[in-house]
Amino acid sequence: MAEKKPTGTILVAGAGVSGIKAAIELAEIGYKVLLTDASPQIGGILAKLDNQFPSDHCGMCRMLPMVGREYASQYCMRKGLYHENIEILPFTQVKSVEGDAGNFTIELLQKARYIDTDRCNGLGECISVCPVEVADEFNHGLTQRKAVYKPVPHSTPQMLLVDMDACTRCGECVKVCPTNVINLDAQDETSNRQVHAVILASGVKLYNLREFEDAKSWAVSPDVVSSLAFERIISGTGTFDGKIKRPSDGKIAKRLAWIQCMGSRNRRQNRDYCSSICCMFALKEAVLAKEKGGDDVETTIFYMDMRTFGKDFYRYYERAVDIGVKFVRCRVQAVMLNPDTSLSMRHYDSQDEEFIVADYDMVVLATGQIPYETHKDLADLLHIKVNAQGLLPTETYDKVKLTKPGVFVCGSLMGLTDLSEAMSSGIAAAGQASRLLAGLDVTIIEEEAVPEPRAKDREDPLVSVVLCKCSDKVEKSSVDFGALEKGLKKLMAVGEVNIIDMVCSDEGKETVLDLLKKSKCNRLVIGACHPFIYRNALKNLAKKAGFAASLFEIIDLSSIVHKGFFEPNRSESGAKDQTREAYNELFAIIENLKLKPALHVETLPINQTALVVGGGIAGMHASFSLAQRGVQVHLVERSDKLGGYASTHVNHTIDGLEPVSMAKDLAIKILEHKNITLHKNCEVAATQGSLGAFETKIKDNENQENIYLQHGAAIIATGGVEGKTAEYEYGNSDLILTQAQLKTGLDTGEIDVSEAETIVMIQCVGSREKQENVKQDGQKQGREYCSRICCVGAIANAMTIRQKNPEARIFILYRDMMTYGFAEQYYTQAREEGIIFVSYTLDTKPRVALVDGKPVMTFLEPVLNSEIEIPADFLILSTGVDAETSNRDIGKAFNLPVNQDGFFVEADSKWRPVEFMKVGLYVAGTAHSPMTLKDAILQAEAAAQKTYAYLSGRKIHTAHAISRVHDAICVRCQRCVDICPYGARSYDEVLDRIIVDGATCQACGMCGVACQNNAAEIMGFSDKQIMAVIDAKMSKNTIGLAAQ
Amino acid sequence: MANFTKISFKKGELNKQLADLFKGMMEKGVVDALLSPMTQPKRGVMQTLITHPAHVERIDPFAPVVPVNGAKIASSITATPSGRKVAMVLRSCETRALIELGKLNLAEFDDVLLIGIDCLGRYENLDFLNLRAQGESSESFLEKALSGDTKRNDIDICGACKICEFPVADTVDLRLCVIGAGADALYVESLTPKGDKVLETAGLSFGEAPGSRDAAVKQLVAARTKARDAEFAGYRESTGSFDALEDRLAACINCYNCRVACPVCYCKECVFVTDTFRHKADQYMGWADTFGTLKMPTDTMFYHLTRMSHMSLFCVGCGQCTSACPNSIDLMPAFRTAAQKTQARFGYQAGRSHDEKQPLTVFENDELVEVTGQVK
Repeated sequence: MAEKKPTGTILVAGAGVSGIKAAIELAEIGYKVLLTDASPQIGGILAKLDNQFPSDHCGMCRMLPMVGREYASQYCMRKGLYHENIEILPFTQVKSVEGDAGNFTIELLQKARYIDTDRCNGLGECISVCPVEVADEFNHGLTQRKAVYKPVPHSTPQMLLVDMDACTRCGECVKVCPTNVINLDAQDETSNRQVHAVILASGVKLYNLREFEDAKSWAVSPDVVSSLAFERIISGTGTFDGKIKRPSDGKIAKRLAWIQCMGSRNRRQNRDYCSSICCMFALKEAVLAKEKGGDDVETTIFYMDMRTFGKDFYRYYERAVDIGVKFVRCRVQAVMLNPDTSLSMRHYDSQDEEFIVADYDMVVLATGQIPYETHKDLADLLHIKVNAQGLLPTETYDKVKLTKPGVFVCGSLMGLTDLSEAMSSGIAAAGQASRLLAGLDVTIIEEEAVPEPRAKDREDPLVSVVLCKCSDKVEKSSVDFGALEKGLKKLMAVGEVNIIDMVCSDEGKETVLDLLKKSKCNRLVIGACHPFIYRNALKNLAKKAGFAASLFEIIDLSSIVHKGFFEPNRSESGAKDQTREAYNELFAIIENLKLKPALHVETLPINQTALVVGGGIAGMHASFSLAQRGVQVHLVERSDKLGGYASTHVNHTIDGLEPVSMAKDLAIKILEHKNITLHKNCEVAATQGSLGAFETKIKDNENQENIYLQHGAAIIATGGVEGKTAEYEYGNSDLILTQAQLKTGLDTGEIDVSEAETIVMIQCVGSREKQENVKQDGQKQGREYCSRICCVGAIANAMTIRQKNPEARIFILYRDMMTYGFAEQYYTQAREEGIIFVSYTLDTKPRVALVDGKPVMTFLEPVLNSEIEIPADFLILSTGVDAETSNRDIGKAFNLPVNQDGFFVEADSKWRPVEFMKVGLYVAGTAHSPMTLKDAILQAEAAAQKTYAYLSGRKIHTAHAISRVHDAICVRCQRCVDICPYGARSYDEVLDRIIVDGATCQACGMCGVACQNNAAEIMGFSDKQIMAVIDAKMSKNTIGLAAQ
Repeated sequence: MANFTKISFKKGELNKQLADLFKGMMEKGVVDALLSPMTQPKRGVMQTLITHPAHVERIDPFAPVVPVNGAKIASSITATPSGRKVAMVLRSCETRALIELGKLNLAEFDDVLLIGIDCLGRYENLDFLNLRAQGESSESFLEKALSGDTKRNDIDICGACKICEFPVADTVDLRLCVIGAGADALYVESLTPKGDKVLETAGLSFGEAPGSRDAAVKQLVAARTKARDAEFAGYRESTGSFDALEDRLAACINCYNCRVACPVCYCKECVFVTDTFRHKADQYMGWADTFGTLKMPTDTMFYHLTRMSHMSLFCVGCGQCTSACPNSIDLMPAFRTAAQKTQARFGYQAGRSHDEKQPLTVFENDELVEVTGQVK
């Protein structure tokens, strides 16, 4: 007999958002994932953040799967996560990692919680009797918690634990626990597991006021808080119910200040990097403070450079300016505590050339990320050495791939990342792991074959009701089960009522299974505890007994059962009320179930072929990544060669990359790969279809013919072009060049700088400026965004010039130096080398005049506060990156949105950065927004992974609940098509029908709202059901109970 | 810009002049067909589709009656292509409803020449037939109505018309103007390039608007608006509670005629006649159990409120619901008062323009935050 192949298994260490994302991606393919976290809960920092810019809402749930959503949680992610293929192990440390890629043995240490969370009812009776109080780390010590506590107050189910360091072992909690699940003698448990790959996602530490000596000097009062603590203050579930109050005295705070770069951009502290996230963090907090606190809230941000480099970041900054957030460019020296407990800070106003002292109610320190310690520990764990920068060593071009095979990183561990990059990297790391596993002899978890459901759609509904009376606690229960049973039996649709003891135990499950197997009923209601915990186990039970998944409901009976019990003055009438409440809940769910049709999943065939549009580095990388895993790829390139912009213009970068030679190597691999068909000189003309079955027409411009390609998914990687300008006399002198022209000229030697005395560079030419301000010949020329690559590009060119001509004076005129992340050190180095950086603002733009053909610059020197006139040998303009002009046409062909700047609009800028709303279409690289080479490769890997997740199988199943069209009464008004946020509905002119793309539809119900005809139906949520539930809940009709 | 053409007519020859105008259009191939109110062979005036110029002479566009709101009729002949160009003579309440149907892809305007008429009101169908039998003509109606007199014996125009602030059709290509035109003339006004072209082809010249028109229209609109506000205030006062509304609807027999007559109730099959409202016997028993009694047929109030939530955003105030009720329930003020508020909430006015998106048809991340309770 052949040995059974092992299931592909991956360890994801760290359950912050990037780890969760990586785990979900792998689980979607069908791999088994062990998701560990050293803390008692999952969610990482995001559990504390209610709002994320740019929407200022929470969108965490958007990282859940779109297809196959029913295998995972479908509720708020801040409450928890569940996926059939993910084993979640909180409070677990990875003690050792031994072995090699494809064959790791890991040792896990699961720390004791002292509470069996599977059986804990989460009502927290133990918390109320616990006598010990300590500072609550969830609220950054702003509030107190007990020794037995909820690590995340709003998670569901509640995952309580005992903090043994604080516990006095008085035993009060054990006595009061209604479910006997507290064991103060529990031990830590160690286990060994076999995995094929390891993804590290443990995040990094944040600079904080408690731990770091240099930070303590700032904390002159409790009203100086870290930005994360401020999130808890401003949170609706936080310390003051969303009111902005001072921690010291609870008074409303109206004057707020943020100080940027706390613990970063500081060489003396050995932190010569920019933490990347703090500027946007502070911006968002300042905007929220205004929105929540009212117009009279004053917000001031003290900054060095506002690093609004990401997509739409600059527009968010403009919005902050518009609503009155004040920005002061100054590094504040100290915070002083006034006698009246307010805080005061002094800053220099360069315009008025004087010092200003202002008072504040609260000061928020924008605390950055601290990577080094974490990296050292992990390197030890993996038996490798950190690199020269003190970080885990990664492959040259792959940020997520460690040099140690089989180990990948994502999230802030990888560098200093924001949410969007955390998501992309989580997906990309999963992609790299899946590339490894695709080459191993492992299997995936196949969906179980769905057994023939017992319910025939045309049978009269008959409901079986199973109620769990929750063990020996029944005498403590407030519900009269006898009366309940009698009452329910009188309902027409109820076939049987069974009262069971402890459905959660193995015995209980056996009893239920036996009962149900004999049942004549076709629908099932189970009343037990915690639908969140037991839903899965009970669903499998129902399935085994032959009930259709859609005709099974579970309701939380235990909350009602235990509700009255803890009330001190429990009365007879109270018990009656609880019985009635239980009856009404059950009545409503039975009414719903009785009218619910059996739902069936649709099987969609998948064409395992991908289309990649654009043969630049992102497009090539995505194609190769997919081809390697056995996916057929059509790569469409408009020009006659592969490589895109970087491979023809950038020989080497400041961080030692060589895009031209890398692209050449990649192009050869593409041409040689049997799974890739290259279509050169071709353009996309039109496309139709949905996930698994697209058809795209491409125009072959060379052979003047149309080609029709069938594919299951597509990746858009169209890239960008160098920005154009007509400012600063560009085009009127040979001595005025763009950075790209300079770079090429320096490389080829065509530009000679050896004699140059003065070279002036201007950053942000036409960038980060309202488009209407930079019109040229009626054409909008402005880029209302940061192009990300120009600041580092300018520094790189400046350094090259200094090498060739150390005597040259180089001025870089900038607005904000966007040397975020570890690029900060190049900025530091450049200043050390004597390159002169002079800041300007939109109001004080430099001016240029041509005198005898030579550019003469005039600009304001802010320290001297006077204008300087300098003749320059060269004037170099950083003109940024423009969107590829064909994006709009391609957007039209695929029915994909393109923003005002010409870049594609992803499904969600934070949570779904490489996906479009329409399932099956993805974006990577500069088609998304300007980005660095490594980021483009990261996105390409992520987009390839999203594609692979669906194309790896021959078919996928839609969810049970999707929307449908009742064709006979549909008037084809297409309101549903217009309103569908996912683009899942379309009107087919040939068939004269509304078509629903079953994989894309998320059953959000918007179509049902828009359709007044009731022709847009959400299966399982008919009006009839909803009305019956409302009726039941409003009803005073408690037939059986009234008679008791 | 002055885009008016004066057409003088002798007493009794208004319809003949109009017939000549349209006949010319058909013969010159400007349009292939005409939809217009026309005197029927037996009696009465109905919207009629005319494809042969010979039959145009019986049209009677200004007959003060609208047996069926013409929007639905216009929809039925334009929703799918016919390959014909058609001119349609409609009133403001009909064109405004038609624009809403257009937004629902139930009407297409490319091959349509919309001709609006000044409307001084309509009589209920039976009243109109009686007045005709007594010798009342469209011209005699116009003459008296223009001087503010619409009452004949005890018969007056509909309640909806008395408070209609849109006597003039706005979103049309051509407009047949009688307000402020004098007793023996009618002005054809062009409002669009399409209208200009038609007038050019017809060999009509462009001239000034009749001098007194603007003031006359303003005066009429002001009077109607005043009457509307008074009616609304009275209605809101008297129907401010659920109980009062129930009292208003007491005679309803769930015949759903009001929704059949409503031009913007566009569903192919109303949900109230589908399975959703065909309940099982135990359901009825359950309801009866709750209160001890159950009025049958059920869902009366539910029906009216549902219809209100479905169409009040598109309501144009034509009053056909009231006219259609066999039990004389005056539904019009209920719907118009609700519509005034719902449309105002979205800054929307049914039928005002082709370009305004219907509310609730576009997905917005932040919308009606005060209602949804969405918090940051």
